[in-house]
Amino acid sequence: MCLTYNVSGIVNFAHGDFLTLAMFIAFAFQAAAALDPYVSVAITLPLLALLGALTYQHLLRPVARSHALVIIQLTLGLSFVLQNGLLMIFGGQPVRTPSALEASILIVGDIFIRTPQLIAFCTSLALTLVLFLVLGYTETGRRIRAVHQNPQAAALMGIDVPRVRTLTFAAGIGILAISGALLLPGTTIWPAQGLRFTVITLMALILGGMTDFAGVYIGALVIGVAEVVGTGYVAGTTGMILPYAIFILVLLLRPNGLFGRAA
Amino acid sequence: MLRIDGLTAAYDGPPALAGISLHVEKGEVLGLLGANNSGKSTLINCISGLVRPLAGRIFFEGADITRLKPHERVATGIVQVPEGRQVFPKMSVIENLLLGGTSRAARPQRTTRLDQVFKLFPRLAERRPQPAGTLSGGEQQMLAIGRALMSGPRLLMLDEPSLGLSPLFVQIIFKALAELNAQGLTILLIEQNLTLTLAYAGRGVVLERGQIAIEGTREMLKNDPRTRAAYLGL
Repeated sequence: MCLTYNVSGIVNFAHGDFLTLAMFIAFAFQAAAALDPYVSVAITLPLLALLGALTYQHLLRPVARSHALVIIQLTLGLSFVLQNGLLMIFGGQPVRTPSALEASILIVGDIFIRTPQLIAFCTSLALTLVLFLVLGYTETGRRIRAVHQNPQAAALMGIDVPRVRTLTFAAGIGILAISGALLLPGTTIWPAQGLRFTVITLMALILGGMTDFAGVYIGALVIGVAEVVGTGYVAGTTGMILPYAIFILVLLLRPNGLFGRAA
Repeated sequence: MLRIDGLTAAYDGPPALAGISLHVEKGEVLGLLGANNSGKSTLINCISGLVRPLAGRIFFEGADITRLKPHERVATGIVQVPEGRQVFPKMSVIENLLLGGTSRAARPQRTTRLDQVFKLFPRLAERRPQPAGTLSGGEQQMLAIGRALMSGPRLLMLDEPSLGLSPLFVQIIFKALAELNAQGLTILLIEQNLTLTLAYAGRGVVLERGQIAIEGTREMLKNDPRTRAAYLGL
């Protein structure tokens, strides 16, 4: 999301709903063809990437120069369409997607780790590394950074700016297919959960100062840890407030994000 | 080489360009003069494809390029060095230069062109790993020109390359431009500095409120009292 925001200037309020969509597609594959979520990601990844590209090309690009509120309104609308579409097809009951590795646990000394969580951890780390390498050391990455830093100058260098933005959007949405597969084992999903993911992502983005990839990564870490500590060690509903409380506190003290400098 | 027919463009309000027709000959340096807001930048942004004209056509080497997208125009050989240099500040000098040659046609020749740019501006070679944002204004201008050269342009358009530079750098930059022109590069030059323009451009066009006020050779413009008047916006 950080990537798509920075390159296309669009805050996508349907971000979490695309994630939910990816999870439900994986669920459908499991229910219909007994495909493990870790396997069906090979199908959902290109599917979501294509969906991201189409969404950008036909919905977002035409309004990209309009007022920010128009874009927010549009992505919020998209969020409702996705949510209710899922509700129509899958119904409102929370569902679980079994996976072969769901119940497996790794024991190292005194530490018990659920295998899916270990996979999720390693994969996200690897993805971050890949993203970092692609952005830093490939021609495509250089073009993406150029569009991010100065779209007009990028166009004058012979870069097809709309194409770079479409590709970035496709990648940003496509990655959600992987996130979906990583989150799916052992969790229940329901159509209306998307907004929660969007809010968490947005908080990480804002904490990180919007534009700095490393900052956003640390922002995500702060929110994540706050959530785990909050729900694990603080009783009941109070615990769930913790990440939001930390978010508000940080913004009060550092309005430009954790590492932001005053504009 | 470049022909413009009845070009009209507007943002909001009165037209920034009102039916301009002009041409650029192969191998010449054409100076584009005029006061602020006379339409100079709008004109080259139309040629680059950043601004969509309301009417009129643009031909480059006989082909109609009016509807081409900006990156397609770079591929045909028209490259702009924008006002204020617009280098990518967080990228190194070398990365900026590589981006200049990022189009498919330019990529195989990147190493040879890189050598040519470093030969033209040895200072850039010394600054290779440095982020472009930390360069001095003059060095950034060298970088902006070098970056534009990386795509192998046949028409180079420069928007106020002397803006904010010390006299020493202005001299270096214009010497390099003269050298490029001697090698056969066609140049369209927008410049605030009237004396400088008339020293390097063989021909000039003076714009006034989106229209051509005077057009002629260097000598004609030098001796025409209207040049200075139009330039000062009187």
